[in-house]
Amino acid sequence: MESNVHLDLSDEEEEITAETVLKTLQTAWQNERLAPEILPHHNDMVECMLGQIQHMERNINKLAKTDLRASIHKMELNRIKFVICNYLKTRLNKIEKYCIHILNEERLRLETSTNYLTPSEYKYAQDYLLNIENHIKSVILNKVPSNMQALEMNKIAEYPNLQTHVFLKANEMVNGVVLEDLTGEDEEIDLEEGSQHILQYKPIADLVKNGKVQLV
Amino acid sequence: MDPCEIEFIGENRIISIIPNFTYDKIYLICGEFGPFRAGLPLNVPLWLAMMLKQKQKCRIVPPDWMDIDVLENIKEEEKRSRFFTKMPNEHYMVEAKLILGAAAEDVPNSSEIKTIIKDIWDIRMSKLRTSMDALMKSGGGYGRLDHLTMMEINSVKPLLPAAMDNLLRIQMKTKKTAPTSSLNTSSFSQSGTSQHT
Repeated sequence: MESNVHLDLSDEEEEITAETVLKTLQTAWQNERLAPEILPHHNDMVECMLGQIQHMERNINKLAKTDLRASIHKMELNRIKFVICNYLKTRLNKIEKYCIHILNEERLRLETSTNYLTPSEYKYAQDYLLNIENHIKSVILNKVPSNMQALEMNKIAEYPNLQTHVFLKANEMVNGVVLEDLTGEDEEIDLEEGSQHILQYKPIADLVKNGKVQLV
Repeated sequence: MDPCEIEFIGENRIISIIPNFTYDKIYLICGEFGPFRAGLPLNVPLWLAMMLKQKQKCRIVPPDWMDIDVLENIKEEEKRSRFFTKMPNEHYMVEAKLILGAAAEDVPNSSEIKTIIKDIWDIRMSKLRTSMDALMKSGGGYGRLDHLTMMEINSVKPLLPAAMDNLLRIQMKTKKTAPTSSLNTSSFSQSGTSQHT
């Protein structure tokens, strides 16, 4: 038995460590779960972590089944896989729910290469929308009088409610977040590092995307 | 989020254990831990500690705050203060539940400690309910929640944000200045008939 199989990651040549990648993914997962809208993707992190997992799994297979290390590594991998699966699933759920809206926005974002979806998510969204359209046509529209067959997809679009309230924690000092007040008096607040708040998602959406705050 | 997901996040915290086996350093993705020396304490993530405990391969070293005197102080402080006090640990409830659940014999006075932690939780939750009530009555769309732990925040998630959303909706309706379309309720309309006339 190879007793000195080192399951380490030192052969990784990138500057960021696997640990940092994992932390970033965990934060991304948490934000994605709690934000009403879809957030910019972290595909590079996902890909990198999937690579790590594969690498790790190959090494585990070299260990004896009864080796304690094997079960520890397996447990960790299962935990990471859960985060990744849940993260991707959450995104797909959002893509399905707000499909039309997301595609409209994404088309604009693609022009400036600030896309939020990965290429495969984008394709998934397009296919999904096409399927919905075909479904509506074959089940309803083809069976009603021709003057009622017009279908405007944009009118059946569902939008995320950006005015919903969310809990957040500030990762760093943020000055002058403007809270819109219906009485016309806008309130300005500062988010100190480490402080926690509940407020509308809309004014802090950009802060979530650039990592200055974290949803909790 | 589901409470077990909060527990999952809390399980990444580092705690101290005393293993009863000897092993080299282990290189995990979340960091390197070890070397394990039988009888010598070392730090590992909570999930690993729980796993080793279940395999009866270690004893848990109770965290510093898991002590009757410390907790009594926190409890008194919590009672005295109008605001939420800072907890010794961002995931105190998760940690307490897991450690006292799986390794009660490793914690001295575990049953008393369990009771005190439950008391602290209850005091904080009742405070939280009072402040939520005050927040809603003042009609505010903003609240500050320093020192609340994730599990506590999560426990009011089904209620508070939804209540504030609805309050905002009512305010907008009465204001009438804001266009109702921005409320983002989904609508399903077929435009065929209206265009036909």
